[in-house]
Amino acid sequence: MARLSAKLAAIPGLRPVGESSLAGLIGMILGALLLLLYKFNPLLAYESLFAGGFGSLYGWAESLANATPLILTALTFAVGLRGGLFNIGAEGQVYVGALAAVATGLLPVPAALRLIVTLVLALAAGALWGLVPALLKMTRGVHEVISTIMLNWIAYFFAFYLIAHTLSSPLNGSRTIRIPPAARFGVILPGTDLNYGILVSILLALLFYFLLWRTTVGFELRAVGYNPRAAHYAGMDEHSIGHWAFLLGGVSAGLAGAVQLMGRPPSYAILSGIPQLLNLGFDGIGVAMIGRNHPLGILLAAVFFGGLEAGGRTMELVAGVPLEMVRVVEGLILIALAVPELGRFLTYLRHLNPLELLSRQRRRAD
Amino acid sequence: MLQSKIKLLAVLGLILAVGFMVLPGGVTAAAQTKGQVAMVLDVGGRGDLSFNDMGFKGLEEAAQELGVKTVVLQSASAADYLPNIRNAARSGKNELIIAIGFLLADAVNQVAQEFPKQKFAIIDSVVDQPNVRSIVFRENESSALVGALAAMVAAQDGFKKVGVVLGIPIPVLFHFEAGYRFGIDWGNKKYAQVTGTNPNVGLLWTYTGTFSDIAKGKASTEAQLKLGAGLVYNVAGPLGIGDLEAISEAIQQAGHQAGPPFMIGVDSDQDWMGGGNKVLASAMKRVDNATFDVIKSVVQGNFQPGTASQGLDNGGVAFSRYANLLNFINFGINANAIKEGDRGTIIKNWLEMRQQIPYWIWDAVSELEVKIMTGKVTVPTANTPDEIQAIRKQFPLGG
Repeated sequence: MARLSAKLAAIPGLRPVGESSLAGLIGMILGALLLLLYKFNPLLAYESLFAGGFGSLYGWAESLANATPLILTALTFAVGLRGGLFNIGAEGQVYVGALAAVATGLLPVPAALRLIVTLVLALAAGALWGLVPALLKMTRGVHEVISTIMLNWIAYFFAFYLIAHTLSSPLNGSRTIRIPPAARFGVILPGTDLNYGILVSILLALLFYFLLWRTTVGFELRAVGYNPRAAHYAGMDEHSIGHWAFLLGGVSAGLAGAVQLMGRPPSYAILSGIPQLLNLGFDGIGVAMIGRNHPLGILLAAVFFGGLEAGGRTMELVAGVPLEMVRVVEGLILIALAVPELGRFLTYLRHLNPLELLSRQRRRAD
Repeated sequence: MLQSKIKLLAVLGLILAVGFMVLPGGVTAAAQTKGQVAMVLDVGGRGDLSFNDMGFKGLEEAAQELGVKTVVLQSASAADYLPNIRNAARSGKNELIIAIGFLLADAVNQVAQEFPKQKFAIIDSVVDQPNVRSIVFRENESSALVGALAAMVAAQDGFKKVGVVLGIPIPVLFHFEAGYRFGIDWGNKKYAQVTGTNPNVGLLWTYTGTFSDIAKGKASTEAQLKLGAGLVYNVAGPLGIGDLEAISEAIQQAGHQAGPPFMIGVDSDQDWMGGGNKVLASAMKRVDNATFDVIKSVVQGNFQPGTASQGLDNGGVAFSRYANLLNFINFGINANAIKEGDRGTIIKNWLEMRQQIPYWIWDAVSELEVKIMTGKVTVPTANTPDEIQAIRKQFPLGG
């Protein structure tokens, strides 16, 4: 028995998976109590929730389709946190990436190159938007939480302006022009939303894994995030490392906006009120927390998160639970799942001396 | 100790993983119970006391009077539109799927092609498929009536402006804005004709960019009141709740019980809100009747695909009157917004509020109503940004 435990302990990733399963179970029990309290059948509710997300090929396809943009926005937050930054700017960078993807439709590009040019311009737009908080932080000492929140709002209203004016469809004022067919990702499984855009997400997650754990820049980035002072004394340039974290995050979030528009049927355009982009960036923070801010963990967490979203619809349809209650139950499960990583994150924050942080920032500002 | 903990966690993990795998996948299998209707709502959702709740009201009335079973699917984000409609179609249980709102148009268009035998209806947008009934409204006509009323009442009460708080700039809202502008212009002229002085009542207008953020409705209304608006028209569903808060506070600060300033309600008859003496009138859009009628057509076997345009002449849009007030007080009671005991006070307050407006103004509104119904007056409308720009130039109203 002891040998079995030793063997189990030796399997990498088992401990976090076990921890998360326990946390998830606790969340589910709390959710079940709440459902009981409001006189819904928790067994039927959970059965429809998980059957809807993972019980059939259709369910899996929907879950993966939901996961596609979340993987990318979670990477944005994770790469920031690994570098010691609390970058919550993915939301705005998603909008900017999506706008760039739509705007590319106005450019004369040969059909064969459309897809790749659209992706490149979108990631460039996201990266540029991500660089603004980087420059503000490195040159003026503006904290990234403040600057990214403000930039999210600027991007939000900028998007509203462009949708209503510059990019507005001449046929239908309630949406932008559509992404041209040559720049769209095809649907993998007909009759579902799953499209080849998911390959972009998976590739980028693998690329981030390689970058963070197999390159010098990645090593330095993690070192700065883990202990900025030690990294500084070891001769690392925390400024340029910080730029990298913002830049990579912007690339990822910009792609999230583009992939959502280029792949997800049926509109292939931004609707007024940007309902299909709203909250992708913030949901990514949750996914990153559940996925332990690790690219591979994020892949799993995003599929789980996407599955809850897909299953939530079946819960409405089959178990008759209203959407508000579905969201509360899902929220309980997700918060429970994020608790282990949140705990670690808070411990990490406590270890950093706040006064030290302040003086560091002041030095930067000078 | 650590090892036993790990063991426990691993076992729990396994249980969960196995649990997911053995769960049945057949929840969406077709069971042929007929007589069920699915309603899919956009992100605005229920509780707006306006557009979405009107659709829901029609659905509930159909459930009671026609005996159909109903299921409501609300959308948490735009990514839900297509799967929600598709799930409803896949289940095979729903004789009719009703999509409430223009945002769902692309999704209805796609699922209608995937399931050609499934019947669909969509409100506020046109989907050109052989199994879809599209219902659109001429909101410009009802907005012209409340615009005319607003201008004349503002002039009468000594206000220089009237206001409108809108949601997201979309074609449906351009209908409202175009009609309102036309109506204010008509009201100014009528007032001049009757009293001999042109009041030149101007327009303050705000597109808030949201159909859900009630606080933005309040902030926009407060700004318009400060700039001299005597009446504010709510054209953003639930934002009217915020508009009314701002108006109630202004009334309170002036030390009064009733308006002016007044709100003008939208979609449902909102006259009962705020006690019956703060919402002067409502531009109703009978999403409830349209929903009920299309369900009835399916039940009776005479469902017709194609587009229906509903205006003042066929009751699709209307100016709120006493009979509507009585009906919609029940709507407010059902929504838990007011209590049964409030009914008498609301009716009394409403009658007093309307009586304080000179009778010739109500006559003028009726005159315009008849002229629109009989085609003697054509109210302009707009569907694109360019068209609404042209209307703004034609009726600048001081702006």
